[in-house]
Amino acid sequence: MTIEELDKNEALRYLGGKNASGAVLTVLSECEQALLKVLTPRYVYSVYEIEPCEKGLKLSGSVVTLTGNDIREHLFGCSRAVLLCATAGQGADRLIRESEAADVAKAAITDSLASVAAEQICDRAEQEIFSKLEYAYKTERFSPGYGDLPLDLQPSLLALCDAQRKIGLHVTDSLLLTPRKSVTAIIGISDTPVQPRKKNVSCESCPAFENCKIRLNGGHCGKYNAE
Amino acid sequence: MLNKLLAKKEFIIFDGAMGTQLQAKGLAAGETPELLNFTAPDMIKEIHSEYLKAGADIITTNTFGANRHKLARCGKTPAEVIPAAVNIAKQAIAQSKKAAYCAADIGPIGQLLEPAGTLRFEEAYDIFAEQVTAIEKSGADLIIAETFSDLYELKCLILAVKENSSLPLICSMSFEENMRTFEGCPPEAAVLLCEGLGADAVGVNCSLGPNELMPVIERICSLTKLPVIVQPNAGLPDPMTGKYNVLPKDFALAMVNAAKAGAAILGGCCGTTPEYISKLTAAVSELKRVNRERVSYPAVCSGTSVCVIDRPRVIGERINPTGKKLLKQALKDGDTGYILNQAIEQTSAGADILDVNVGLPDIDEKAVMVKVIKALQGVCTLPLQIDSPDPEVLEAALRIYNGKPIVNSVNGEEKSLSKILPLVKKYGAAVIGLTLDENGIPKKAEERFEIAKRITERALGMGIAKEDIFIDCLTLTASAEQAAADETLKAVRMVKERLGVHTVLGVSNISFGLPKRELVNHIFLAMALENGLDLAIINPNSELMSGTVRAFRLLKNIDVNCTEYISAYSEESAAQATPQKSEEMTLSDAIAKGLKDNAAKLTEQLLTTEAPMDIINNRLIPALDKTGAEFESGKIFLPQLILSAAAASGCFDVIKRELSKGGSSISKGKIVLATVKGDIHDIGKNIVKVLLENYGYTVIDLGRDVDYETVVEAAIKHDVKLVGLSALMTTTLKSMEETIKLLKKRKPDCKIVVGGAVLTEEYAMKIGADFYSKDAKQTVDIAKKVIG
Repeated sequence: MTIEELDKNEALRYLGGKNASGAVLTVLSECEQALLKVLTPRYVYSVYEIEPCEKGLKLSGSVVTLTGNDIREHLFGCSRAVLLCATAGQGADRLIRESEAADVAKAAITDSLASVAAEQICDRAEQEIFSKLEYAYKTERFSPGYGDLPLDLQPSLLALCDAQRKIGLHVTDSLLLTPRKSVTAIIGISDTPVQPRKKNVSCESCPAFENCKIRLNGGHCGKYNAE
Repeated sequence: MLNKLLAKKEFIIFDGAMGTQLQAKGLAAGETPELLNFTAPDMIKEIHSEYLKAGADIITTNTFGANRHKLARCGKTPAEVIPAAVNIAKQAIAQSKKAAYCAADIGPIGQLLEPAGTLRFEEAYDIFAEQVTAIEKSGADLIIAETFSDLYELKCLILAVKENSSLPLICSMSFEENMRTFEGCPPEAAVLLCEGLGADAVGVNCSLGPNELMPVIERICSLTKLPVIVQPNAGLPDPMTGKYNVLPKDFALAMVNAAKAGAAILGGCCGTTPEYISKLTAAVSELKRVNRERVSYPAVCSGTSVCVIDRPRVIGERINPTGKKLLKQALKDGDTGYILNQAIEQTSAGADILDVNVGLPDIDEKAVMVKVIKALQGVCTLPLQIDSPDPEVLEAALRIYNGKPIVNSVNGEEKSLSKILPLVKKYGAAVIGLTLDENGIPKKAEERFEIAKRITERALGMGIAKEDIFIDCLTLTASAEQAAADETLKAVRMVKERLGVHTVLGVSNISFGLPKRELVNHIFLAMALENGLDLAIINPNSELMSGTVRAFRLLKNIDVNCTEYISAYSEESAAQATPQKSEEMTLSDAIAKGLKDNAAKLTEQLLTTEAPMDIINNRLIPALDKTGAEFESGKIFLPQLILSAAAASGCFDVIKRELSKGGSSISKGKIVLATVKGDIHDIGKNIVKVLLENYGYTVIDLGRDVDYETVVEAAIKHDVKLVGLSALMTTTLKSMEETIKLLKKRKPDCKIVVGGAVLTEEYAMKIGADFYSKDAKQTVDIAKKVIG
């Protein structure tokens, strides 16, 4: 997979900005070019049948249960789930570290562009995956840390996808994905149209809700359902 | 044991996959495979037996993840798992009645090492040492380290093996189609490091099928003198079915090509089964092993990039405090940011290697060296040259360096030779030998040559390769000893021609005490290059100096088609075409618009007419206040604020440089900043840092993933009134709370301000912080309130 262009407006939104001026746009383009050179987009996925159980949803043939109500609501009506692990790679982290030493403005902008890159990689991965799968309907991506789906699922999701071996994705003891610009997500798939019951997956369940620059500026990042 | 086996057999056959075989036999996804050594030993033994029957000479124990970190989930320890697994393998071998061997398997820990992750080198060493100790006691015949992708982690493991075991060690890394590992390590660096540290075989496994791995296999075979191991996957798996796409017979055919390329140890990884190994055994049974010619490969490397000394190369000299006030201050203050900047500047100016010297009379050189090297290798890809006369400092740095560095230096004195060369050998470095001894620097070239010869012979005698010996014939000051310049050049030529080793010179010393130093320097450099200089220690930021090396490479037909020369200078003419219109702009404009270069230039101009403090108080601070106010009122947004802050810091740097000339400095007070333990999101804290510095505060930046203790110690040492803590993850807020607790106990007079995306004012107060700051601007206001 190669990413040719990054959504710079989205990167600005992550930074909490609108109406970027000349200098910001120039730096944004510079950083985009530098980042595109070092991106190594990779993803791996596996597909599991899901069985509702007391605590949430069990992934059959594995020892892992997706716990909580929110994931159950999100995958309502789905018979299977795709576990997706994706990463922008080590190069992005290194570039951010390098810019941190040289120029904090570039570092902040590169950081936000790299977050955008990780999302774009997920979008592309989803397209590629679903062009191969025979299921007609799918849900949005849902990640550990959203709603009541615990972050401590990360190690299990990585293990189920063999993500360390296959794409070099790790998780720290504090449950941080490394390389940093990486995403794990669960996507429900079904033969029949799916209508996830959204009520619990609102912005408010996001850990960044209180200070979210996007929300405070009247925007919406798309990861959660807006009010 | 490996060599004995290779003397008897053309090829050593390894087994195939364990993990995918276990899954085929019913291991549930997500389960810990090492537990099966206890719960299903017969299943493991059956897999071993099948591989032995298929032709394997060496079978691999079911211990890939048997490290403290990965086993934590299942409650077993390496000391329990490893002997159990080795025992099963040994039983299988005994039952097979074959002369086969048992390789104890070690895989990566499962966490990234610093700076990409949070696992410290020393901690990783402990984890591996625990495994190796258990292996050593278990009766295994050898160790195989496989599926590594981080060279740093592999280095850690090799050291743990060498220091805790006498077993042979095979090192195997996983490469992608771009000829790099996930961590960016190229095969050349893997070979340099593994050979240098004393691995017994090197090679590749996993990641791809045998055909896709061929370019990497060929590359490794062309570089190393060690036996090469190849264990590819059975192609790629289908995510739906888990089935691999290369059939056993095709796998065997492809492995014949690997054997023809020079590999001597063959086996399989994910997706391979006994059938693959049996077909492989048959396919190579009639084949003879290729006797590879070992070509000389003079090179040093970092974890991700290699510098081959096949042409004159530039060693950047700027990270050396001698005669550099700002660097001295930065070292004393522990300001690694300044040093990193020096590295970045030299890299973009065209340096190939960077010298690192942190020697100052009143600092803990060892601790500072380790800190600086760790910081440098996090951002800078160039190989480093570790520069210290102290063997203890050298060893500490060699240990934690990710790659094959140069040691600067050893000399002809017995105590230097006997202390430093063993370190060079142990850590697989290259070394600079200075042509001086107990009697000082000889005047004549012939005498310096004699010392060079002595150093070279001693190094060779210790098993250091000839290509890793660089001789420095020493540059003396021309204004003091005018005749010496010629002797140095003569010595360079003699060493190069007669000893056949590489030569290195610190060039700048030639012009000490003279006017127009660069003029003398670059001519002397050109003369030295013509006399056979390979490595020039110079200031690469000097256009004339790095330009001389580039022009020399061009004129000697080394830079074929002048590509390198043209690419270095074509951008420059383009840049000149767009003149800077800084004269029409005020400093306030430059800061408001976020134009860093203009801000710096304008400051330089202003300094000719205004006092530094006036510029800060009358221009810089008002400009920052204005952007700050615009940010607060929502007129501008974070990106503009940060750009303005960065531009202001460009202005500030110029002023600091000016002030340091007169020996004075400006500081409103010190503030300690840290991103808490477990968290590596650094951006927010760094924005705060720049803004605080803009307002004249001295920031002691402890970096990220900082221990509670370190924060408290820094707060006490610098007696600060304010500590700022940042955390971005809900999972690391706990660390923030712990840090605050410890601070309140040990330095109660110090105020604490906290910030971070997931933090709220309410929560900040709950965990005992004095202030909650929603952004960088507010932190400045808090600093004003606390410090003034």
